[in-house]
Amino acid sequence: MVSGSLSPQLRADAERAEGMARAVGLDFYEVVFEMLDAADVNAVAAYGGFPVRYPSWRFGMSFERLHKSYQYGLSKIYELVINNDPTYAYLVRSNSRMEQKLVMAHVFGHADFFKCNVWFAPTERSMVEVMARHAERVRLHIERQGQEPVERFLDLALSLESLIDPYLPLREHLRGERENGKAGGAAGGIAERVRRRFEARWGGGSELEATEDSPGRGLPTYDVLGFLLEEAPLASWQRDLLRIVRNEAYYFVPQRMTKVINEGWASFWHSKLLTGGLLDPSEIVDFADCHAGATAVAPGQLNPYKLGIELFRYAEEKGLDIMRLRRIHNDVSFIDEVVDEEFAARNQLFVYRTQGPDGRMQVTDRDWQAVKQQLLLELSWCGSPRIELERIGSDGCLELVHRHEGRDIKLDEAGEILGQLASLWRRPVALSTRVGGQGRRLVHDGGELAVLESDGAEPKHSEAG
Amino acid sequence: MMGGQVYRMERDRARFRDIVRGRLRKDLRKYLSTSELLGRQGKRAISIPIPQIELPRFRFGENDGQGVGQGRGDEGRAADGEGAEGEGAGEAGDQAGQHILEVEVELEELAQMLGSELELPAIQPRGTRQLSTEGGRYTGIRSTGPASLRHFRRTYKRALKRTIAEGAFDPRSPRVIPIPEDGRYRARRTCPRPESSAVIIHMMDVSGSMGREQKDIVRIEAFWIDTWLRSQYQNLEVVYIVHDAVAKIVDQESFFHLRESGGTKISSAYELCLSLIREKYRPENWNIYPFHYSDGDNWSARDTDRCIGLLMDEILPAVNQFCYGQVKSAYGSGQFKKDLDGALGADERVVTAAVNSRDEIAESIRLFLGKGR
Repeated sequence: MVSGSLSPQLRADAERAEGMARAVGLDFYEVVFEMLDAADVNAVAAYGGFPVRYPSWRFGMSFERLHKSYQYGLSKIYELVINNDPTYAYLVRSNSRMEQKLVMAHVFGHADFFKCNVWFAPTERSMVEVMARHAERVRLHIERQGQEPVERFLDLALSLESLIDPYLPLREHLRGERENGKAGGAAGGIAERVRRRFEARWGGGSELEATEDSPGRGLPTYDVLGFLLEEAPLASWQRDLLRIVRNEAYYFVPQRMTKVINEGWASFWHSKLLTGGLLDPSEIVDFADCHAGATAVAPGQLNPYKLGIELFRYAEEKGLDIMRLRRIHNDVSFIDEVVDEEFAARNQLFVYRTQGPDGRMQVTDRDWQAVKQQLLLELSWCGSPRIELERIGSDGCLELVHRHEGRDIKLDEAGEILGQLASLWRRPVALSTRVGGQGRRLVHDGGELAVLESDGAEPKHSEAG
Repeated sequence: MMGGQVYRMERDRARFRDIVRGRLRKDLRKYLSTSELLGRQGKRAISIPIPQIELPRFRFGENDGQGVGQGRGDEGRAADGEGAEGEGAGEAGDQAGQHILEVEVELEELAQMLGSELELPAIQPRGTRQLSTEGGRYTGIRSTGPASLRHFRRTYKRALKRTIAEGAFDPRSPRVIPIPEDGRYRARRTCPRPESSAVIIHMMDVSGSMGREQKDIVRIEAFWIDTWLRSQYQNLEVVYIVHDAVAKIVDQESFFHLRESGGTKISSAYELCLSLIREKYRPENWNIYPFHYSDGDNWSARDTDRCIGLLMDEILPAVNQFCYGQVKSAYGSGQFKKDLDGALGADERVVTAAVNSRDEIAESIRLFLGKGR
C-alpha cells in the first residue's frame, strides 16, 4: 500500500508502480512517500532521512557539504529511502514527473530488498522511533552533563564506529531462530551455504562461526564496541551513549555490505518497470538520459548502480534465479557467484594501479580472476580494515590486531584512535599491524603513543616501551 | 514531519559553525601569515576555506592505490586519460577525501577575532567630527506625491472625515469617495546621522628589488589592516599608490600585481599622498591613515631628507598615524627605517616596523594598530 503526501497525479503513478512491482514478484512493507522542497532535501539527507536524530555538529557539517555541492550544481539528491516498516521514501518537488516515476520504481526495488534480503532480517524495523528515542536520551544527557562532555564522548564513540562485527547480527538472529525451534529454516540454510562459500574463498575460521563458547569475556572478538560496553570503566551516561552509537552502527551494517547488490537490484527493476509500461512514450528519451547519468562510470571508480545492474542482467541472461540471488547475497558473495570470465570481458573490467608522483591510473591487469579478487578485496568487511580484539594482556592492555589483507592502514589516525581508546579503557591499548610488509606495534599508554617494530608474522606481546 | 528536520538542522548547523569559528580563532596566527583569505571577501562577509573536520578512523592508507575500473584500453595504458566519461550521479562515498569546506564569516566578526588575538584597542576617532548624511526613510506624510506612494489608510481617513463633515455619510450605505484633495502620500524624512569616516592610503615601493614574496607580505598586511579599520569606522575608503621614481594612484588589482623597475624616490609617493589629503580627504572630515611599505632603499639621502621634511611639516599634522613597514628583500639595505627612526622615532604619530618574514606580519600589525589612534 502506498501512502504519503502526494498530489493525486503522483499518487496514481505511485499506485501503478506499486501494482507493477507486486506483479513481478517484489515484496515490501507499506511504502510512504514524502514530498520535499529542493531546499529542504539536503537537511533531510544530512540526517540520513530520519526525521529525528540526536543533536550533533556532524549533521550540520554534512548539510553544509551537501548544500554547497548542490548550490554549485555538482550534485543533486534523487533518492532517499530508509529501511523501516513502513518504508519511508522522499520525492523532491522540483523533479519532473518522469523523474518521480523513476525514483518511485527504484524505491520499490530497495523496499523489496530491505524486506527480503537475509542480511537485513535482523535489522530493527521501527528504526524511525528508535532513532527518536536515541535523540531524546542524548538530549537528556546533554541537559544533565552539559553539551561539551556529551559531544566529546559522542565524537570519540563515533570514531570507533567501525569496530563492530558485521556478521554478528545475522548470527545472533539465526541463533534466536534455532532456540525458537526453527532450526534449519529457510534463512538458516541459506546462511549456512553462504558461510561455506565464504570459508572456501577466505579460508580459516569463518566470521559466521559462533564465538560464544570462547573462554573469557568472549574474546577474541570483532565487536570491540560490544566488549567496551560490557567491560570498560564508564559512567552510566557514557555507557548509554556508546550503546546508542553501537546500535545505530549495527543498523547501518547491512546497507554497507550490500551497496552493489542493493543499488543493482533497485536499478534493475526501475529500468524494467519504467520501460515496461510505467513511462509515457514521450518520456523515454529523458529517462534514458537520466538512467545513463546514474549508471555512468568515472575512471577508477566503482559505480555500484552500474556494476549491480549489469550483474543482475547477466545473471538473468544465464538463467539464474534472481529472486533467490537477492534473497541470500551480500556484495561479496554475490560477486563471487556471478562474476566470471565472460562478465569481466563484456564489461571491460580491469585492475588499475595509481602510479608516479601525479598518481596517474594505469591499467595493470585484465585477467578476470585478478579483477574478481580485487573487487572482493575492496568490498570485504564493508570496505573497512578488519580489526580484531584478540585478548587482554597481563597489564590489562587491550590487544588489537589488524587482520592484514594486503592494504596498510593509516598509522597517524590509528594512533589517534588508540589514544582515545586508552582514555576510555584507562589502561594501555595496543594495535599490531603491518606497514610495507614490516610488522608494527602501536602502543598507547594513555599519555604517549609508541610505534615499535615487530617481526610482523604474528603479533608479539612485548611490554610497552 | 519535515518542518522539524529543517528546524533542527539550523541548530546542528549553528553548532558546527561555532566549532569552525573556534578553529579559526585558534588558527588565526596561521591565517595572518598566508594569503589564503585574500580575494575572498565580499561586501560584508568572507568565505574561508577550512579542511573538513574529520573524526579519526581506521582507514586504508598509501598502498591502497589499486582498484577495479571499467572501459577500453590495453594493459599498461593510462586508465584515466582520453575518453573519460562524466562522473556518475551515484551517492557520495563514505570514504574520507580531502574535502575543503567553505565557511562564511562576517568581516566584522573576523575583525573581532583579530582584535582579541592581537589585543588591539578600539580606536578613538580624532576630534568629534560628524558628517550629516541624508537618512532615506519614508516616515513622513505630505499632501502631494506620486500615486505609488499614496498612503491608503490616511487617504481614506481624510476622505471619511470630509464625507461626514459634509453630512453626506450614510451608515446604511457607507460609501466614501476620495477626491484629489484627500490624497496623503508618504514622504522621505531626512535626519542627520553622525558618521565617522576614515581613509587608508597604502603606498608601496614597486621598484625592481620588491619581489613576489615582498608584495605578498604587503598584501597580507593590507588585508588585515583594512579588515580592522573597517570594523572601527562606519565609512572606510582605501586608496592605493605605487611608486618607483614617480608615484601614481592605481586600483587594488594593480597595486598587488604591478611590477615596475627603476629607481626609488619615496618622496614622490609622499607628495602624492599629501595632495590627496589636501584635495580630497580634508583632515576636518577624515581620519587619515597613510601606510608605506618598501624594502628600505631610497634614491638618495637628499630624497630621504625631503621625505622626513614632508612628514614632519605637512603629513603628520593632518593624519591619525603614519605607518612604515619595511619588508626585507635580498637587496634592500634597510636604511630608510633607520633614517625615519632617527628623525621621527620620538613622535608617537609615527610607527615603523621591520617585517623580515611572513611570521612577523602579525607582530607588525600589532605595532601598527596597537596604539588605538
